[in-house]
Amino acid sequence: MAGTIRAQYPSSLRTVLVPCTGRVGSDVIMRTFGRGADGIMIVG
Amino acid sequence: MLESNRHPNIEILSYSEVVNVDGYIGNFKVKVKRKARYVDETKCIGCGTCTEACPIYVPNYFDENLSARKCIDIAFAQAVPAVQDLVRDSCVECFACVDVCEQQAIDFSQQDEIIDLEVGTIIVATGWDLYQGDDYGYGIYDNVINQIQLERIIAPNGPTLGHLKRPSDRTRPKRILFINCVGSRDVSKNPWCSVICCNLSLKNSKLIKSEYPDSEILCTYIDMRCAGKDYEEYYRRSRDAGIVFVKGLVGKVEEDPISKNLTVQFEPVGTDSVITAEFDMIVTSPASLPSQGTVEIARVLNMDKSPDGFLKEYHARLDPISTKVAGIFICGSAQGQKEIDKTVSQARGAASAAGIPMGKGEYTMELIRATPSDERCAKCYKCIEACPYTAISVNEKGNLVVDLIRCRGCGTCAAICPSKAIELTYYRDDQYMALIDELLPIEE
Repeated sequence: MAGTIRAQYPSSLRTVLVPCTGRVGSDVIMRTFGRGADGIMIVG
Repeated sequence: MLESNRHPNIEILSYSEVVNVDGYIGNFKVKVKRKARYVDETKCIGCGTCTEACPIYVPNYFDENLSARKCIDIAFAQAVPAVQDLVRDSCVECFACVDVCEQQAIDFSQQDEIIDLEVGTIIVATGWDLYQGDDYGYGIYDNVINQIQLERIIAPNGPTLGHLKRPSDRTRPKRILFINCVGSRDVSKNPWCSVICCNLSLKNSKLIKSEYPDSEILCTYIDMRCAGKDYEEYYRRSRDAGIVFVKGLVGKVEEDPISKNLTVQFEPVGTDSVITAEFDMIVTSPASLPSQGTVEIARVLNMDKSPDGFLKEYHARLDPISTKVAGIFICGSAQGQKEIDKTVSQARGAASAAGIPMGKGEYTMELIRATPSDERCAKCYKCIEACPYTAISVNEKGNLVVDLIRCRGCGTCAAICPSKAIELTYYRDDQYMALIDELLPIEE
């Protein structure tokens, strides 16, 4: 989306591809926070 | 309909209900309940002798209850199959029809029966229902009718043989008010636009005006939405023909108890004045609603519904014909409000979409699938509840079995499993953890 509307996003953003937002479980989210992420956006 | 009925490859099971569907694309096992119609389809020739013998009159549902018919009669002229239709609830069981029927086709001992079918693909085209609220006195005042009733009144085979007559005294209404957006585009009722009503009121008002040029026709609307090929011209010609269009909602309708005329108050948008006018008849354009059995058919076929209650497509813009279950397609108003041309396009699209795997004889699927592990599974079966495709079941040992054809590889089961006993091929937990660790290195 950001690409198609030519929007800029910060270089500190990391993207992880999932087949479906249903795949995102609490363990994945906790691991991400555990590794120091400030926030998580689940976008579908 | 008649042509389809005569086609050697088409079998129509009318008066029937799909009660259960098992299996997957190419191998659906369908249970159909054939309701007792009390008339043997194979024997009845539709001669109508029973209709003459029947002493009971009932409201004619095909004429929107504007006329009467016998309790046993042909439902309507082009009905398929062309056999007599018995309104069982109103029947007094005098059995006069049984006595006169030469074919011995009438059988009151008939019971509902369940038949099993094996089919490759399924197309759902369950249509829509009309909003029946009492807005503007519909159902209370005699001369407030809806568009479908007007369609029957002006139909040559309708209750008045095509002559425009109002229900209360069967005289020709001269001053007619069309009210658009009844029960639709209203967040407290049905928030959607029903799409067809603007053009429907244009068509009917124009028909009346060309047949009876001295008619005074007023049409109130929220917005005239005549988008599409030729529709704008249609709207312009209606205005040229002398039909008056007023933007604004009708506030109040009152019936004169003697003349049965209707006094209407409305405030045209952009003016400060409230107009009071008298009309002979009001025609409302009610909202189109998901058809009555939509909840049931969605449950039987394991389909989703959109927030408005219509059946949910796989993707609203890119794949409006497929559903989340492979091999099940939707078309027409079952999917959403639409006009005839779009219904025809979608129906042909659905037929082609269903024809592709049927013609090929094979179905290609992705390899991303859920894989359970019996050793780690604690048998809490949370995954079974979570699976949106009902692809997970339990075998006789209590172990999980994933139907690889029903599974669409979303991974909801993998996310919800507390003991990580079910994983998604190519999207395993370890892969995600490694990816996250690599993306977010801990600085030392």
